[in-house]
Amino acid sequence: MSDESVEILLVEDSPDDVAFFVRTFNKTNLAARVHVVADGKEALEFVFCTGSHSARNLANRPKVIFLDMKMPKVDGMEVLRRLKADPYTRTIPIVALSSSNEERDLIESYRHGVNSYIVKPMDFDQFAETVRVISQYWLQFNKTPKP
Amino acid sequence: MQPEQQLRASLREIDDLKAALDEHAIVAITDPQGKITCVNDKFCAISKYSEQELLGQDHRILNSGFHSKEFIRDLWTTIARGKVWKGEIKNKAKDGSFYWVDTTIVPFLNDDGKPRQYVAIRADITERKRMEMIAVHLAAIEKSSDDAIIGKNLDGTITSWNAGAEKIFGYSSEEMLGSSILRLIPADLHDEEHHIIQRITRGESVQNLETVRQSKGGRLINVSITSSPIKDSSGKTIGASKVARDITERKLAEEKISQLNAELERRVIERTAELEAFSYSISHDLRAPLRAMGGFARMLQEDYAATFPPEAGRQLERIHENAMKMGLLIDGLLEFSRLSRQPLNKRTVSPAKIANRVLEELQSDMEGRHVKITIGDLPDGEADPTLLHQVFMNLLSNALKYSRRCDPAVIEVGARKDGGRCVYFIKDNGAGFEMEYAHNLFGVFQRLHRADQFEGTGVGLAIVQRIIRRHGGRVWAEAEPDKGATFYFTLEGENIYV
Repeated sequence: MSDESVEILLVEDSPDDVAFFVRTFNKTNLAARVHVVADGKEALEFVFCTGSHSARNLANRPKVIFLDMKMPKVDGMEVLRRLKADPYTRTIPIVALSSSNEERDLIESYRHGVNSYIVKPMDFDQFAETVRVISQYWLQFNKTPKP
Repeated sequence: MQPEQQLRASLREIDDLKAALDEHAIVAITDPQGKITCVNDKFCAISKYSEQELLGQDHRILNSGFHSKEFIRDLWTTIARGKVWKGEIKNKAKDGSFYWVDTTIVPFLNDDGKPRQYVAIRADITERKRMEMIAVHLAAIEKSSDDAIIGKNLDGTITSWNAGAEKIFGYSSEEMLGSSILRLIPADLHDEEHHIIQRITRGESVQNLETVRQSKGGRLINVSITSSPIKDSSGKTIGASKVARDITERKLAEEKISQLNAELERRVIERTAELEAFSYSISHDLRAPLRAMGGFARMLQEDYAATFPPEAGRQLERIHENAMKMGLLIDGLLEFSRLSRQPLNKRTVSPAKIANRVLEELQSDMEGRHVKITIGDLPDGEADPTLLHQVFMNLLSNALKYSRRCDPAVIEVGARKDGGRCVYFIKDNGAGFEMEYAHNLFGVFQRLHRADQFEGTGVGLAIVQRIIRRHGGRVWAEAEPDKGATFYFTLEGENIYV
């Protein structure tokens, strides 16, 4: 398990949103491994291979991180800040997934270097379409430099 | 000299004296009963009665009512006894105006020692009396004023000092008369007096200078000082009057007001922050469960549609639709709250340009429809461009929505002058509404049309009203069912609480 490469890290505390995401992602033809963590603390442990994920290989960086911005304990903004502040993880694309389209959340996220900001659509069909489009874009079309 | 010549010379002398007297004085002669038998021109001039009107009358015709009965009785007893009476009398002229005369009445007696006639010689002292009255008033004002009223020379020596000055500064007039004004001025402000004197010397006055003076005990007092030059009759400045008002209490009150304002400001900021936190949590926390409800209903439909009775499928669809609708309501509420909080950045804007830009954004709403839109002459106005854009967006998309069934839909954007204000309007030929419900038009979530006829959340016009009110303007509508609606708004000049 620890050596398996993870292509999408989904950081999401809502089991409902996880269910929607996984369901719609599985309906795409993208054969990528999705790993789900439920809070910011675990997200940082996963990427930096510490704590409960200390057995993981640091070189197995996710190709993209889908990050819910509002979570208990360590929230999305803090995860974003920490990952973008570290030279090793800075180049991992981070897509913010948020319920909020408040301007200040957008400003704050971009200030911390988010690569994309998506407002979770209320409509399930749109939500599914969004997951399909962004997954395809970040996994198939986007290029990132090696660390 | 012959007796006849002597007599003639005497008569001429008498004539000369009479002429001189008539030039100088107001003269009247009365008989022992007081009836006027003779008046000179000056008497007529000051009393404004003609000689004919006066002859045969007594002096009651001139009675001003000012003097007491005792005063009049004393006058008559004196002259009836053959003694000269002197005094000042206030009389009333024919036109009702009053005049004062300094009066001497000389009784002339017959051989029996009884008065034969009275000759009254008077001088006009009306002006002097007026000046005296003013002086009395001024003295009373000076005495009773709570303000310090101080007179000083140009070298700063105090020449007058009233009770108000004593009260404010604690020095008696004995202590201050003749001493320097600098005694009242804190050492570090002595320069100020120098500047005041410079201005006074130039003939200028100093108005409401708010500064600090010190009392006898050295206590500092906040005062407002007005100082004006005192000039002699030739116009030369010889000193200055200085009125100082103790504004310590006002200063304290002002300080209190500014503290209260700061406190209010702080509370407003706090409340606004609370409100923002509230909206923020609504935006995050209410949306997520709604998305889940809609999502699971949709998943049920997708996964089990084949095994459901058709009615169950329709009901799932309604769950989904309602979840979506509530999502839109939340969005509307958030938008309403956001636009209410957003700072107002007013500047001169062109409503016509804004309306055109909005129409470009609404192109997709017009596709496949026959819509005639005219934009008239819209004068520039003072508004926040982003917020005014929102107003036009909401009003124009309403106009398009409610004229959807018209072919062609006719929409007119215009302006007219109404009592100096500019009233902008947006008129359509659409569904309109009944005026009796017009008062509901601008309330949040208020709708005058059924959702299955015209979709909507009932937030758009509430937003329009909030924005217009924040600009100090007013918005209202006129409509008739199936004939269309016209929405009017102004950007200024109305009480926001109306």
